[in-house]
Parts: sequence; C-alpha cells; structure tokens
Amino acid sequence: MAAISQAVERERPRRFAGRGAFGILAVPVVLLIVLFLAPMLIMVVMSIVRYPPNTSSGYTLLHYQQVLTDPINLKVAWTTMFIGTTAMLIMLAIGLPLAYYMVFKAGKLELFLLLALVLADELAPVVKVYAWQVILGKDGLVNWLIPGPAINWLLFSRFAVVVTLAASYITYTTIPIYAAMKAIDKRMFEAAVDLGAGWWTQARRILIPLAAPGIFIALILVYLPMLTDFVTADIVGGTGSYMMGQRVRDLILLQGDWGAGAALNFLLLAITLVFSWIAYRFAKLNRIDA
Amino acid sequence: MADQVLRPAGLEIDLPSPAQVRTRAVVNTTLWRVFLAFVFLALFGPLVILLLFSFNDSSILAFPLSGFTTHWYTLAWQDTLLRQSLINSTTVALVVTPCCLVLGTLTAFGLTRFRFRGRGVVGGLVGAPLILPWLIIGIAALMAYGRLHIALNLRSVIATQTICTFPLVTAIIAAQLFRFEREQEEAAIDLGCSRLQVLRHIILPHIASALAASAIFAFTWSFNNFEISFFTIGFQQTFPIWVYSSVRNPDHTAVVNAISVVISVVQVALIYLAVRLLRRGSDDETGVIVAVAA
Repeated sequence: MAAISQAVERERPRRFAGRGAFGILAVPVVLLIVLFLAPMLIMVVMSIVRYPPNTSSGYTLLHYQQVLTDPINLKVAWTTMFIGTTAMLIMLAIGLPLAYYMVFKAGKLELFLLLALVLADELAPVVKVYAWQVILGKDGLVNWLIPGPAINWLLFSRFAVVVTLAASYITYTTIPIYAAMKAIDKRMFEAAVDLGAGWWTQARRILIPLAAPGIFIALILVYLPMLTDFVTADIVGGTGSYMMGQRVRDLILLQGDWGAGAALNFLLLAITLVFSWIAYRFAKLNRIDA
Repeated sequence: MADQVLRPAGLEIDLPSPAQVRTRAVVNTTLWRVFLAFVFLALFGPLVILLLFSFNDSSILAFPLSGFTTHWYTLAWQDTLLRQSLINSTTVALVVTPCCLVLGTLTAFGLTRFRFRGRGVVGGLVGAPLILPWLIIGIAALMAYGRLHIALNLRSVIATQTICTFPLVTAIIAAQLFRFEREQEEAAIDLGCSRLQVLRHIILPHIASALAASAIFAFTWSFNNFEISFFTIGFQQTFPIWVYSSVRNPDHTAVVNAISVVISVVQVALIYLAVRLLRRGSDDETGVIVAVAA
C-alpha cells in the first residue's frame, strides 16, 4: 500500500506539468499569433518600407523621422496628453472616494453600485457620447438651466472632451481601485483613529498606499485607451481638441498615408507597452509592500 | 473619583460631546449622498436624456422639450439600414461569443492548471489584447488584411473581435478556476479519468455560472465594439457604426435615441440575467464582475 501511495505522490507532479498544456493551448496561441501578433508585425513592416504597402520598395526610417518632426503631431500629442491627464485626474478624484464608499460604507448598496457602474459602461455605446452634445450644447440642458446668455465653450471644446471622457471611463477607473480596497483590513482605520489620525492622514497614509495597485491597473485600463479615443473627440470636440486617435485614423483613412500612420501607430503601441509594464511593476511592488 | 482612576494624569483626551458626534455624522452622510447623486447624474444623466428625447416631438435636440410622440420608434422600426446593422451586429456577436467561450476556457484551463516553460510568455500574449487600445489593434488588422488581400467583411470583423474578446473570458474563468480546490481534479485523475473527462465532469460544472456570465459579457463587448469593427468591416455597418454615422446627421438623431433606448432595455435584461446566474454559482458574487476589469 505504501508503495502505491508513494508512486502516486511521485507521479503527481509529472501529471500536472508538460505535455497536456501543449494540446490545450495550441489552438488559442496559434490564433493569437496569426490574428494578433502577425498584424502587429505587418504594421511594423509597413512603417519601415518606403512606399507601403509595396514591400519591395526598400526599407527606410523616413516615416518615423517625418512623424516625430511634424509640428502637427507634436501639437496633437500635447493636446492629447493634456486632455487625457486632466480627465484621468478628475476620474481619480471621483473613483477613489467612490470605491472607498462602496467597500467601507455602502453595506447592502455595494453590489447595487457595482452593477450600476457596469451597466453605465455597457449601455448605449457611442450614443452616450452624443447625449453630452444635448447636455452641453448651445440649446442644451446646462444652458437652459443656467439663466443668462448661452455659454459657448461648453461644447466642441477641450472642456467637453474632458467631461465626456471622464464620464465614459469612470467604471474602469473605479472597479480596479475597488478591488484593491476590498483587500484592506478595516481595523487599520480603527487603529489609526485610536492613534488620533484625521481623515486626511488616514487617506494619505493608509487608503491610497494600499489602493495603489488598483490605481496603477486603472491607469493601464483607462489612461491608454483615452489617449487613442477618437469617437469622443469626433462628437463633442472642436478644432482645439484634435486628439491622437483622430490623427492616426485620419492619416490612414483620409490621407491614405500608411507609412506615417503605421509609424505613429507603432509609436503609440510602444508607449502603451512601456507604460503598462511600468504601471504593472508598480502595482506588483506595492502589492508586496502591502 | 472613579473617572480619575480610569484616566491617569497627562492622558486626558478631549472627547467630543454626543451632540457634536451626531452633527458630524449627519454632515458626513449628507456629503456622501450629494457625492453619490453627482456620480449617478454623470453616469446615467446621458441615458435619461436619450430616453426623454426619444419621446420628444421634435427632430431638434434642444431644451425645453416640446411634446410626446412615439414617431421615432416607428421610424426606427422602418429604417432598413438600421435593421441591417442590427442583424450584422447580432450575427457577429452570435459567432464571436461561442468562439470566445471555447478559446477562453481552454486558455484559462491551460494557464491555471499546468506549469510549463513559456507560461509567462503565453500569459502575456493572452493579456496583450486586453491592454492594447482597440484603435491600435484595429489599424494593425486593417493593414494586415489589406496587405494580404483579404476582403473586409463580417468575417474579418469576427476574426479580429474574437482575438480581442476571448482574453476577457480567460480572465473571468481563470479567476473562478483559481478559487476552487484542486483536490477533486487530482482525485479524478488518480481514479483514472482522462483530461477530457476531468474537464467534462469536474471542471465544467464548477465554472458553469462563470461561463454563462462570460457569454453575456462577451456578447455585449462584441455587440458594442466600435473601433475594431470600424477598421475591419469595409463597406457594411454594425450597430455602433450606424450610430456613429447617424449622430452626425441631424435628421437622424431622434431615431438613434429611440433605438438606443430599445437596445439598452434589452441589455439591462441580459445583464440582470448574468448577475442572477453569477449569484447562484458563487458565494462571492462580486468576484467575477471585478475580474472583468481587473
């Protein structure tokens, strides 16, 4: 009997390692390589051939040079950063207290709030963005409610894009922070109160450090898609809010400039990967600290 | 006297009076309520606006409202382009969802139940479509299809959407697989079950509710997807693309409102169903929803 159980014990690690994984993961991995990785590589190739999509026209880094020195791109990059960062800060200012409320104060409301966030994100894509036109427009809700002459800068402006983006991505900001806060031991706050800490000290010394992994995940999930969002800027933005997503789209679809479009898109891809990697590292680092 | 014994000299604390405590609590609650009201206004205000204007008797979307009509719903019903776009979106979602379920479950199973070299690489490859913005994926796909002379139609949309959506299913299912004990699987293997039998008789029953939930999430993701469809569809339209082109046409916006209200109602029903299934299947009902985003 002992021999059998010993054999089983020895057998076990081998059973869970190796061969089986290949058969199970083969199809998804091959599909990812063919339908995801290969298009990325083709895009990279398009960014370095002289006259894309003709690959026999020789290789060059001209498109990158052109993209990086074009004053329009620099201006667009600056606008995009400004809009994205402002919206992100607004969302953190809302998402942090909201997540805190859901975890520590909401009680039975917790699940309801979570569902509300998910629903608000899922419902009426694109149209929701359009609804902000009706809210912020010249004959819109805000101007109707506020007496006096119509405020013009509410719509087709950076302001409109920031507000609409912040309202659209709040779900993906709040939920990761909520998940991180869920792991915080409530007694820490009690201990802090007993030691005489006010709410600000509690937030700064306990809440935010421990929610940091969630904040970094939120940055990956929200900041990066925002930088490439073109629907919002198309619908509620104006000439002053021309964003990177619109720029890439226009380069490729309107101007048909595959070289510059691919180069710019690849730069965005590189920024995304580097930024995600850094944020992910920070998230992990903070998790170990906690 | 008794008080003095309990509190040694030098450690006197100014305790707020009961009245002060009560005022503070009231102020606190009020502040939180105002905050929540603000959040709900930002989240659902736009949807309420759509609802209001879908019944508003004017094609101009301006306040004040001008009267009640169901005219826009009739128009939406008769719009053939709209109908075709809805059929397209539904077709795409109906194909994408089962593909994602199979691929996502296989991947989750492979990643959580096996230790092998290159596991990190495979994990990164699966996670990448969730991190990369859809614009980047859409454009890369457009270029690849263009370069390889593959026609852009619903099939190309389905292919690219599947590859970007199944990692979501993997995330949901993997969260569930991490959570339950492995002993049952090991026991089944020791009793001579094959891998497939383990999958069929042990694992599938455990993840049934998570599967149902991921099906609904995958369906909504696919149905709502704008960027990927926009770049890979060619000349046809899915519903979000139809909306995108219609909201820029002032004569059309009221119809967009009406159909959006209808679609939203259907989606609420679907998501309600998803949540019901989740609650039945797991003690930590929030876990899977969290997994969607985290």
